[in-house]
Amino acid sequence: MNAEIKILKPFKPSELTLIVGLPGMAYIGKLSVDYLIQQLKADLIGEVYSKFFPPYVIIKEDGLVELLRNELHVFADAAGRTIVFLSGNSQAFSPEGQYEISEKVIDWAIENGVKKVYAVAALVTDKQFDTPNVYVTATSADMLEEAKAQGAKLLDHGIIGGENGLVVGLAKKRNLEGACLLAETHGYQAPTGEYVIDPRAAKAALNVLTQILDIKVDMEPMEKQALEMDEAFAKMAEIERRVREEMAQSGKRPSYVT
Amino acid sequence: MENDSGIWIKRHSTLALQEPVAIAGSPGLRSVGKLVVDSLIAQTGAKLFAELYSTHLPSVYQTKPSYAAHPSMPGMGGAVVESGNLDFPKVQFYACSSPPLILVRGYHPNFEGQYTVAENVLDLLREAQVKRMIVAAGYGSKETKICCAASSQNGIEEMKKYEVGVGYKGPFMGFSGLVFGLAKQKGIEAVCLFAGTAPKEDDLEFPDKEASGRIVELLNRILGLQAP
Repeated sequence: MNAEIKILKPFKPSELTLIVGLPGMAYIGKLSVDYLIQQLKADLIGEVYSKFFPPYVIIKEDGLVELLRNELHVFADAAGRTIVFLSGNSQAFSPEGQYEISEKVIDWAIENGVKKVYAVAALVTDKQFDTPNVYVTATSADMLEEAKAQGAKLLDHGIIGGENGLVVGLAKKRNLEGACLLAETHGYQAPTGEYVIDPRAAKAALNVLTQILDIKVDMEPMEKQALEMDEAFAKMAEIERRVREEMAQSGKRPSYVT
Repeated sequence: MENDSGIWIKRHSTLALQEPVAIAGSPGLRSVGKLVVDSLIAQTGAKLFAELYSTHLPSVYQTKPSYAAHPSMPGMGGAVVESGNLDFPKVQFYACSSPPLILVRGYHPNFEGQYTVAENVLDLLREAQVKRMIVAAGYGSKETKICCAASSQNGIEEMKKYEVGVGYKGPFMGFSGLVFGLAKQKGIEAVCLFAGTAPKEDDLEFPDKEASGRIVELLNRILGLQAP
């Protein structure tokens, strides 16, 4: 089982658009796509399993065991257009596995007549900003213009780590139209090394993505989550500022042992 | 012979059991699962009928404990000598006929081979007509109790009859975690019994016989086994 797509329900795609948001830095891709799945009440139609996911399972609160997996949810809008969302609780742990799964999904999307592929990812920066900027990279000038018309800025250079970048690269390789939206984040990490979610950045990405797709979703719940995290980030920034001040006063410089 | 996945199986005898229940355990947290399986092998007099070998099973681990596999720290391949016999690391399958049971002594593969080994173990169990499996393991808790998890709600309900409820939530890694998690996809309903175990100050990974004993006692009731 290198990678396997298990289709749970048959569906009839029309003008298929694939939107990818897998867990990565600050969980921006996953937060954005999970939010759309929830708000649009998209239907679970398939699951992706692979031996390239990290080798553990999750015991949930209800006592049921869950494998690491990706999920395919489908939403059909009033105009008859089909949107498939790829999300999940993990990415493959190796580049080999990330290619394997991304190619499997792109193959499946092509078999189902996909027209466009979008991904949402993070752009980690130490620059200060009031509202996170959203950057775009795309497979064609038309796709770039489409995103820029909704406020995205051109990504001049950078790296998009993991499957959120790979799917758009593979879309280009397969002559599909694709774009990746990258929302700015400071990419805070917990002491355990886990990324802290950044709903403010996810909201910024969603503002661009929903306008491109011409779909309307209630952004209030996301704004509420963003306000809660704004407070948490402000506290983290304040602690960081105090530590720096204390160190400056004592003449010590921050040092690290790696 | 070795298959494309780096697995080969040595069969010692042919099985003819009617839908045996499989019990699986491995040297996970404080060896609780392994101790349970070893106790049941001794108690039932189960006989070794198959051994699964794999290029994914190391003889020496770089990570401690062995179940905490890491992609950049694979263990080393190598031979194992036991009672003067030269062999390789392996997963062992024992069987007894009354009640029909298959006991699986697990072994932790390297990070990248865990799904492959678990799938091949489950294929062998499916071939032996196994439809139900109970996995034994430890979980970090100072409370001396047993809790369960399952592949379906039926399993959770069944354990309520023995006054065992759910309790642990979080990741379950190593041989037993993946064998448990992948079972349903292979048509096997699985329940996992977790016994609470806490470290000793001088030995964090001591084999916790008291915790494994609690699971063995419960399994005796579930399977109708004669307590020794």
